[in-house]
This record gives sequence, C-alpha cells and structure tokens, in this order.
Amino acid sequence: METLITFLRLVLLSMVPFVLASQGTMLGGRTGIFNVAQEGIMLLGASLGFLVSYQVGNNFVGMLAAMAAGAVFGLLLAYFTTTLKMNQFFIGLSLFFIGVGLSTLLPKLIIGITLSPPLIPTLPEVSIPLLSQIPLLGPILFRQNGLVYFSIVLSLLLWYFLYRTQRGLELRAVGENPMTADSLGINVVRARYWTAILGGALIGLAGAYLPMVYTGTFTEAMTRGRGWLAIALTFFGGWSPLTILTGSLFFAGVEVLAFRAQVIGLALPYQYLLMVPYLATILIMILTFRKARVPAFLGQNYDREKRNL
Amino acid sequence: MEKQPILELRNIRKTFDKLVALDDVSFSLLPGEIHGLLGGNGAGKTTLMNILYGLYRKDQGDIYLNGEKIEIHGPRDALNRGIGMVHQHFLQISNYTVLENIVLGTGITHRYTMKLEPETRKVEELCQRFGLPVDLNAVISTLPIGTRQKVEILKALYRGVKILILDEPTTNLTPQEVDALFESLRVMVNDGLSIVFITHKLREVLSVCDRITVLREGRNITTLDRKDASEDVFVRAMVGEQMNIEKSVYFARDTKTFGEVDTTAAPILRLSQVNLISKEGVPRLKDVSFDIFPGEIFGIAGVAGNGQRELAEVAAGIVPPTSGKIEQNGKDVTGLPVAERLRRGLSYIPEDRLHDGFLPKASVAQNLILGVHRQRPTATAASSTGKRSTRKPASRLASTTSKPADRKNPAAISPAATFSG
Ligand SMILES: Nc1ncnc2c1ncn2[C@@H]1O[C@H](COP(=O)(O)OP(=O)(O)OP(=O)(O)O)[C@@H](O)[C@H]1O
Ligand SMILES: [Mg+2]
Repeated sequence: METLITFLRLVLLSMVPFVLASQGTMLGGRTGIFNVAQEGIMLLGASLGFLVSYQVGNNFVGMLAAMAAGAVFGLLLAYFTTTLKMNQFFIGLSLFFIGVGLSTLLPKLIIGITLSPPLIPTLPEVSIPLLSQIPLLGPILFRQNGLVYFSIVLSLLLWYFLYRTQRGLELRAVGENPMTADSLGINVVRARYWTAILGGALIGLAGAYLPMVYTGTFTEAMTRGRGWLAIALTFFGGWSPLTILTGSLFFAGVEVLAFRAQVIGLALPYQYLLMVPYLATILIMILTFRKARVPAFLGQNYDREKRNL
Repeated sequence: MEKQPILELRNIRKTFDKLVALDDVSFSLLPGEIHGLLGGNGAGKTTLMNILYGLYRKDQGDIYLNGEKIEIHGPRDALNRGIGMVHQHFLQISNYTVLENIVLGTGITHRYTMKLEPETRKVEELCQRFGLPVDLNAVISTLPIGTRQKVEILKALYRGVKILILDEPTTNLTPQEVDALFESLRVMVNDGLSIVFITHKLREVLSVCDRITVLREGRNITTLDRKDASEDVFVRAMVGEQMNIEKSVYFARDTKTFGEVDTTAAPILRLSQVNLISKEGVPRLKDVSFDIFPGEIFGIAGVAGNGQRELAEVAAGIVPPTSGKIEQNGKDVTGLPVAERLRRGLSYIPEDRLHDGFLPKASVAQNLILGVHRQRPTATAASSTGKRSTRKPASRLASTTSKPADRKNPAAISPAATFSG
C-alpha cells in the first residue's frame, strides 16, 4: 500500500514538465504555430531558472525568468513565421540549437566552474488543509509542490477556455482555417502571437521544474529528451488539454517505473530502462496516431493575399 | 429622381506582381438592386470584390459608402460597415457545426458558457424569413454543397449586412436550388439589402439582376440595365470583338447537333453490379450498371451527395469498388491502379478541382504532365536533352493545351494556385 501511494505521488510529481510543455505546444498549435524547439527552450528554462533563483535566492523569481525566456523564444517563433512567413520547422530547429547552446553557456558565464555543484532549495511541499487528510487520495493529490496543482488547474482552464468560451471558439478556428477566421474579422496575427508567446512561457517553466524539483542544480542536457516527448505527447493527446493531461500521467508513469527498476537493480543494463519511455512513445504513436485529430493548419503560415489552398 | 448609389468603387487598380488584375475599374451599386457582375474566368470579378471586402489591398482607387469616402483595412471593417461576402470557395470551419460557423467572430450573449439559445433563435428566425432551411447542429463537413451555401448566406444575414456580395453562388447548385436561391435573393432585396451577384452565366444574370456590369481582362467594359440589353450585347462585351463567339465553347448555344451513338458497338466503359460501401460502413453505390459507347456523352444526374462523386471515383479507378466489375475496352480493369487506367486512355476531371485536381504550388506545365510523366513523349524528350528537367517538353504540352482557353497569365510556369476558377 505504502509503495503504491509513493508510486502514484511520484507519478503526479513527474507529470508536471510533460503537462506544461505539452500544453504550451498545444496552445501554439491551435493557431497553426508548430513549435519544435521544446527541448531547447526547456533546457534554457532549466538553466536560467536555476541561475536566477541561485543568484536572487528565490525560486519564484527563477520561474518567472524561465517563463520570460520561453516567452521570448515564442515571440521569436511567432515573428519569424507569422510576420516574416518563414518555414516553421527551420525556425523551430534553429531556436532549439540556440536554447541548448545558451543553457550550457550561461552557467559558465555566471557561476564559472566549481568543484561541487551550487545548489538551490527544491520547491516545498504545499499541503492543502483538510483535503490532504483524506486517506489515500490526500497524500497522493494534496501533498505536492505548487506546480503540480498549477499544471492540473491550468489544464482544466485551458479546456474550459477552448471549448466553452467565445474566444476559444475563435482561437480554434484560426488553427483550422485562418482564411475563414480572417474573413470574419478575427485577428489571426494577434492570436498566433499570443499563443506562441504564452506557449513558450509554459515550456520554459517546464524546464525550470527540473532543477527546482529533481536535482537542485542544473546539469547539461538534463531534460533528457522530455521536450521531444512533449511533442509526441501533444499528438497523442489529440491537441486537446484534457487528453494531454491524461497522457502526461501515462508518460510520467513509464518514467517512474523505469527509474524504480533502476533503483531496485534489475539485471538489465540501465540504458535499456532509459529507452522505455521512448519505446512506449513510439508504440503509442503507432496505436493512436491514426485517430488523432490535428489542427488542420498546423505548421503553416497564413498570408491574406496569397492563395493558400 | 435619380437614386444615389449606396456604394461606389472608383478607378480601382490592383496588380499581383506583374499581372494587372484590375485596371481602372469603377463600379456602383444602387440601394435595393441586384447588380450582376459578369465576366469570364480571370476577368477580375473576385479580385474587385475582395478589395471591397478588405481581403486584398488596392493599389489605387477609392471606395465611397453612401457618398462618404471610406478606407477598408480588413474584413472586420467591411463587416462593421454592413458589407458581407459569400466567397466562391466557401470559408467555413469544416469540423464546426452550422451554428458555430454562423456565430463565429460575433459577440455571443453567453460568451463564458457558450449556451447558444439566443443565437439559435435568431438564426432560426432568419432561416424562416429568407427561406433557407438548415439543420443548425449538423457538422459542416457532413453537409452537401447546396446546404453549405445556405450557411454562407446565413452568416452574412446574421451579421445584419446591408450589402451582400455573392461570388458565383450557383456553380454547384441544382436548377431547383438556383431557383430557391433567386427567391431568397428577392426577399432580401425587399428587406432592404443591396446585392452584388458575381457570375459568368448570362442566363442567370438576365433572370435575376436589375443592372449588369461587365468586366473583361481587368477592365470594366459597360454597365447596363437589364431591360436595355439583349444577350448578344453582353456576350460581345464579355468576350471582346476578336473572339469568334459562334465557335467558342464557352457560349455554345443550345442548338448543338448530336452525333449518332452506335449502341451496337462494343462499350468503351462498362460497369456491372458495382457496389461501394464507405469507410464508415454506409452503402454509397448499390448495384450500379451501365455501358458507355464510343463517341457518347453520358450524363449522370442527381442531387449532390447521392453518389455521383463516388461513382466517378470508382469509374476512374481511384476508389476500388466493394464488389462488381469495371471493364474498359472489353478488358477487366477492376483492381488496376490509376496509372494503368490512365495509360489505357481514361481521363478524370474531379468535382472538387481545387482539392483533388491539381497541385496548387506546381506550375501549370508540371500539373499537366503529372500522370503522363512516365509516358514516352515527355520522358524521352526530357532524357534526350540530357537534362533531368521536364520543363521544356512540358511547357510545349502546356502551350498546345491552353491555346483555346487563351489564359492571359504570362507563362506556363506560373504556379497553378494563382489562377482564378
Ligand atoms: N491572390 C492572387 N495571387 C496572384 N494572382 C491572383 C490572385 N488572385 C487573383 N489573381 C489573378 O488575378 C486575375 C483575376 O482573378 P479573379 O479571381 O478576380 O478572376 P474572376 O473574374 O473571379 O474569375 P473566375 O470567374 O474564374 O472566378 C486572374 O488572372 C488571377 O490569376
Ligand atoms: Mg472568381
């Protein structure tokens, strides 16, 4: 029993970077902007988030810095694709490389090389009064760090926004058929900008979660492909907030299991275990991809006077 | 007393790169009239109205609404000023419902719950008043073209437009639907709307419009009262003097002589007991059989959505039939790939040419050789010049093919998507 509770708690805890990065990806995609720089933005978020909270002595400020960096990357993506109408994959991949590069450069510039890694305190557990006393559910759901709650509430809000508000209806229309949206007076450019920026901020925050919850410090390539997995997860989740939330639970489950197996010391080289999340991804993509619904205009750029058929 | 025009376009000019789409075009719309905008393919009708609707930016010229000069920077401006447009290629979100498409972009009463009762009531009333019955909860992609057209008109009416532009609204309608549309238009005009009706079908213009403006190659040729003019005057205006009207395919008259079809000859295409069940498990074709003989024009009639499209695709070999047999020149071709069917002399012009018919970004020449590119003339010509490129022989093919249509677009190498209908 105790192990099960611990396992589920860990799953919820590890779900956060997936949720944040995938919801960020989904949000941009809903207006047609397909971000592929997640891995780079997350690494930069991890690096900058760590550095700022180390310097300032406040994790929250670190998170804001990571979000700001992600937002800037989102802004760049929106500018190059929406205003300059350049190829989305090309720009996305460039941003990925820039993010990776900056993430290793910044610590060297700011902290230099140290013998023992500098540490920041990890995020505290926030117990929700009363609810955390419920047997079983209490410890799993209501004794977590703040970002666990945030990512769940965010997913619910995004769902509500997209499917139950006028703006949501308009936003989804932009990603399905921007020409139609435009012809009805919906501001396509503005929608693409703000979703790309907010999406980038969420991806940056997903990165900051890693040093602030898992390690207390930044190490190179510490995202270990979670950014790429987030893209897969977004497809798997059919670009819809609630399915993405469930999918994140599954991905996190696989990750925790692989990690557990490592700790227990299965007689299997640990590289194999590291492969498990990726294999699971491929399997799931094969099984669900055919049914998955993708915004029709995903990855394309809209130009009013061009005939984009 | 002369009526003041409600809308005026003066000296509009618009170019796309080197192509002059509109050259010094003027147009005026009187209140309460149905004004036909007539012209052949590529005359600039859509371009002119897109400028009015704010989708295209004009290079030169002015727009006056009720005598006052206005600027329109985008569709939002146009809509705010009471100008609505039904586009030639419908602008609809295909996975939204009819109602969602109609209210999209307008202020919704319950914007944070999306309970659309007030909107439903308003739309239902419009459906009633203008004779445009539609199921508001149906998803657009499941609807036949005729119904989607009604949705498009409802969108404009819902926004309370004063001026409605209809860009070739009758193209995909059955004659009955066209009649119903014309009736609705009359109701709208009586309700105080003014309508611009774009078409290249003369008979429609003569039967429904009050005044008619003719465009040709980006210039306006004339504006006439319907009463003052005969069909001939318009045909002359549309095609210009140099074209031989009697021989033009475009204006072929009803007096055609039909060749004798020899039904004793071997059929060139034969379908026997063809059945097709769609992916969703719905039967689309049930036991269809017919013969087509050499030299025959074989018509298939029916309201859109009753299997014509499926029948054509099955006959052309694009979709394999669930059961049944297809013979071409007496040989069983049922399971053969499309390439093989083409090689045997079949050709297919799909219903939805934009989506199925061509590659919008490839050039005209490339589009033309697509499919025949494996065959001798193109393949040898390409290899004999020692180049990989197929441009030369392809352009030759394009220029021979396009001569009769006399496209004014400069070269065979322009991307196909830039053409009009
Ligand atoms: N977005 C565009 N980019 C480039 N060229 C264009 C564009 N829109 C129109 N054109 C060109 O401008 C000319 C006028 O086109 P337009 O669509 O206005 O013709 P139309 O009178 O509506 O013809 P149709 O009856 O075929 O619809 C054509 O030569 C067309 O190829
Ligand atoms: Mg047109």
